[in-house]
Amino acid sequence: MQGVSPNMERTSKRDFLKLLLGGGGLAWLAAVVYPVLAYLKPPVQGEVEVTSVKVGPLSGIEKNSGTIVRFGTKPVLLIRTAAGELRALSATCTHLDCTVQYRKDLEAIWCACHNGTYDLNGRNISGPPPRPLEQYRVVLQGEDVYLSKNA
Amino acid sequence: MKQTPLFLFLVALAASAGKAADGCLECHAALGDTPSKLFLRDIHHANGIPCSGCHGGDATSSDMEQAMSTKAGFVGRPVGDSVSVVCARCHSSGEEMKHLHSSIPVGQFELLQQSVHGKRGTDGRSRIAQCTTCHGAHGIAAVNDPRSPVHPRNLVTTCSRCHSDATYMRSYNPALPVDQREKYMTSVHGKRNAAGDSRAAECASCHGSHDILPVKDVRSAVYPTNIPRTCAKCHSDAALMKAYGIPTDQYERYAKSVHGVALLERNDLGAPACNSCHGNHGATPPGVASISKVCGTCHALNSELFSASPHKKAFDALRVPECESCHGNHGIMAASAALIGTEEGTTCVRCHKDGSAAYVAAGTMRRMLDSLESEETRAKSLVEDAEQKGMEVSEAKFRLREIRQARLESRTTVHAFDQAKLTGVAAKGIAVAGWVSAEGERAIDDYYFRRVGLGVSTLIITILAVTLYLYIRRIEKADRRQKTTTT
Amino acid sequence: MKGIGQKLYHWLDERVHLDQLVEFMDKKSVPMHRGSIWYYFGGVSLFLFIVQVVTGILLLLYYKGSEQLAFESIQFLMSKVSFGWLVRSVHSWSANLFVLSAMIHMFSVFFERAYRFPRELTWLTGMFMFFLALGFGFSGYLLPWNELALFATKVGTEIVGVVPGIGKPLMILLRGGPEVSGATLSRFFGFHVAVLPGIFVVLLTIHLLLVQRQGMSYPLRKEEERESLKTIPFFPNFLLRDLLLWLVVLNVLAILAVFFPWELGRKADAFAPAPAGIRPEWYFLFMFQTLKVFPAKVWAIDGDVLGVGLFALAGILWTLVPFWDRKSRHGEKGRLLTWTGIGVVLYILVLTVIGWLA
Repeated sequence: MQGVSPNMERTSKRDFLKLLLGGGGLAWLAAVVYPVLAYLKPPVQGEVEVTSVKVGPLSGIEKNSGTIVRFGTKPVLLIRTAAGELRALSATCTHLDCTVQYRKDLEAIWCACHNGTYDLNGRNISGPPPRPLEQYRVVLQGEDVYLSKNA
Repeated sequence: MKQTPLFLFLVALAASAGKAADGCLECHAALGDTPSKLFLRDIHHANGIPCSGCHGGDATSSDMEQAMSTKAGFVGRPVGDSVSVVCARCHSSGEEMKHLHSSIPVGQFELLQQSVHGKRGTDGRSRIAQCTTCHGAHGIAAVNDPRSPVHPRNLVTTCSRCHSDATYMRSYNPALPVDQREKYMTSVHGKRNAAGDSRAAECASCHGSHDILPVKDVRSAVYPTNIPRTCAKCHSDAALMKAYGIPTDQYERYAKSVHGVALLERNDLGAPACNSCHGNHGATPPGVASISKVCGTCHALNSELFSASPHKKAFDALRVPECESCHGNHGIMAASAALIGTEEGTTCVRCHKDGSAAYVAAGTMRRMLDSLESEETRAKSLVEDAEQKGMEVSEAKFRLREIRQARLESRTTVHAFDQAKLTGVAAKGIAVAGWVSAEGERAIDDYYFRRVGLGVSTLIITILAVTLYLYIRRIEKADRRQKTTTT
Repeated sequence: MKGIGQKLYHWLDERVHLDQLVEFMDKKSVPMHRGSIWYYFGGVSLFLFIVQVVTGILLLLYYKGSEQLAFESIQFLMSKVSFGWLVRSVHSWSANLFVLSAMIHMFSVFFERAYRFPRELTWLTGMFMFFLALGFGFSGYLLPWNELALFATKVGTEIVGVVPGIGKPLMILLRGGPEVSGATLSRFFGFHVAVLPGIFVVLLTIHLLLVQRQGMSYPLRKEEERESLKTIPFFPNFLLRDLLLWLVVLNVLAILAVFFPWELGRKADAFAPAPAGIRPEWYFLFMFQTLKVFPAKVWAIDGDVLGVGLFALAGILWTLVPFWDRKSRHGEKGRLLTWTGIGVVLYILVLTVIGWLA
């Protein structure tokens, strides 16, 4: 439009600039607040996996049975003997790294890969395994069973 | 002594036949003692060595006192360790042997001293064995002489004198078996040896002669890691084996096989050597129906599953060797899914024809194994990629073990040749692989999300910064204008 | 929007009489001259400190400060918490930038003699805040409880122990025992999130109040021309410029966090041997390197003791510079002092580089 006064032009520019400033400011605020809010929301896995792993209540572990529990990056075989005692041993076979299992019928630990056998203290008693299994500590706190590294 | 005059005459005859004078033998033969009788056939005697060669003394004199005087070096009957010392005086001296025109090696006594037989015996005074223990004392014949106690045909009996005597062996090592000879007699080597073949393996072929070491000693020729080479001494000799019609490629194949690499290169004593499958003293290739059991001492699960599978009966009826048909015997390579299936080159199609139920099952099982393997590869590579990018994927990494375990389990379960069973195991692995792959993808997506997020926030900040800059400029322009208007 | 702002201002004004404050703040101006750029570094340091507090509070919500849990809690934070990786990396990078910015701020004040009357207190509070910042860095470094941190702390606290007399008791106090252990971690955590912030905030408040009350320092050489120097008002001009710079710094932090994420390393194991290449953070490097090249014994004095003693002396002298630099009080820039300052900067630069490359 002809004859538009410089003031009016400046006003519209001013408003646009202020608009952009306000909008930019809001966008920036959103870009900061959104991550903070997402951060505050607790993740699905509520607790941090720790050097001491909580397995669960003792009542949930059958006698004469064994289960694999994750301990950091390693698998651990948790055994409850027929007599009710708890044992925890590394579940990685010392021969060629297969995962061992608890055999109810043998009441011993067996590796399916090459028929290696370990006793309940982890000692290699038959077959190719050259070394015993590493032992872990099992602690009973109240009703709950905890695993930790052997001191 | 009625024969005395006759003997004297014979000895005189012998003496006059040009042999070196052996005064000791002349007298003692006349006396009719056994050593002299034996000595007549002794190889030392044949080479002109008189009794004094070992016993000392003066062989040229016919006067007893002079002949057997200590001044002349007479030592009488050597006892204990001094027996071997006497032998060693010549037999450990290269010069002496050369002087006597003999090509016999000269290290025996030294080797004996370091061997297991060189240890102190139960009397505490002398070694377990002296030279004479095996070679005899007076009727010593060359090793290749069929009269020698250490000739291949007689050696087994000689060794068994002690090693089959339970009471005697108990005083040294109650845990040592004493049935080696019995077992040996059932073996191929033993049977041939009994039939008179002196090329068949006997005790010394594997254990050595003077340098025998306990089996548990790493240097022993029958220590597990040395056994393949020991057996190969004969069994890789083409010229030797031609007469028996036995192939000679076993060691070569074995050395390249999974077992060979494990034992010979990685020193894994859990891996089988020749004797683990063939036996030690009772060495015989395992029978067709029993191969699975032999392999099953280590591969227990595979053997059990196989024996319960329909293949067991079928193979036995066809007289087809069990594990060997698919896996080979000496040159066993790491098994792969490629052994099963319906393509050319798989073992299934050798018997199962196109269209049969088994043919279809073989194809299905192979596809299942393949898909498990490809899922595992995919999961592994995704996790590795995420890790390379610096993302935290320790839990996914841990679960890779589970997939590996499922793969091993399914490869074992295959031996039941039961499609349903295999499906159960493989499906578990595939499920875990799916989870791990998803985690890997999530981590990689997050990596890119971060960069995109940065781009977006940089854009916002840039816009805001530019806007702010313009705003500041405007304010300052206005200020300047204000200043000029007011002044 | 404006209406609400007005109403709020009016409500407060009725109760607190903001008029005087507003009038005072309105008058505040910042001189624009060749050295004006250095004025920004105080603000940048303040901004980075605020970033540290905010990210620090966020980290506090997930960090667990015990020997068994510290490392894993950070691993958890980096992998399972939304944007946890961002908060942690920003916190670590901002810490380093904060120390760097504070150093630049300190040296620019030194070279411009801005510490002279009447700003001695400002300088003192600033120097103490700087020492606290180093303390923040040292204590914070241990908190992830990884290998490098454990050994760096061992070496650092060991050096404290060489001071004759109070050294050993001080070291035990710092470590919470004779060795670096879980007790040390607990103490350092307490220092880092409670003790040091508390003291720092008090000093900061005094420092900022003084700056507001006394205004910006004019460069020495321009004293005569003070009246004719161009100025801009602090509110809103200088503040907006400050904000602009802070925005850019924030973006820089984000870029660093994404492209150069902070490492976590391996969990500390007191029984493992020291990993190769342990060294303190860069801002301690020049002292570390100096002690390394110091001879083991100088006359009868132990080399380490002498080194620590010299640093302590230098620190004290530096802190007290407003009181013994007479020249600046009279409006002169002493040549000797300038060259001393340049020498110090070069020394720090050179030894840091040597220490880094070693």
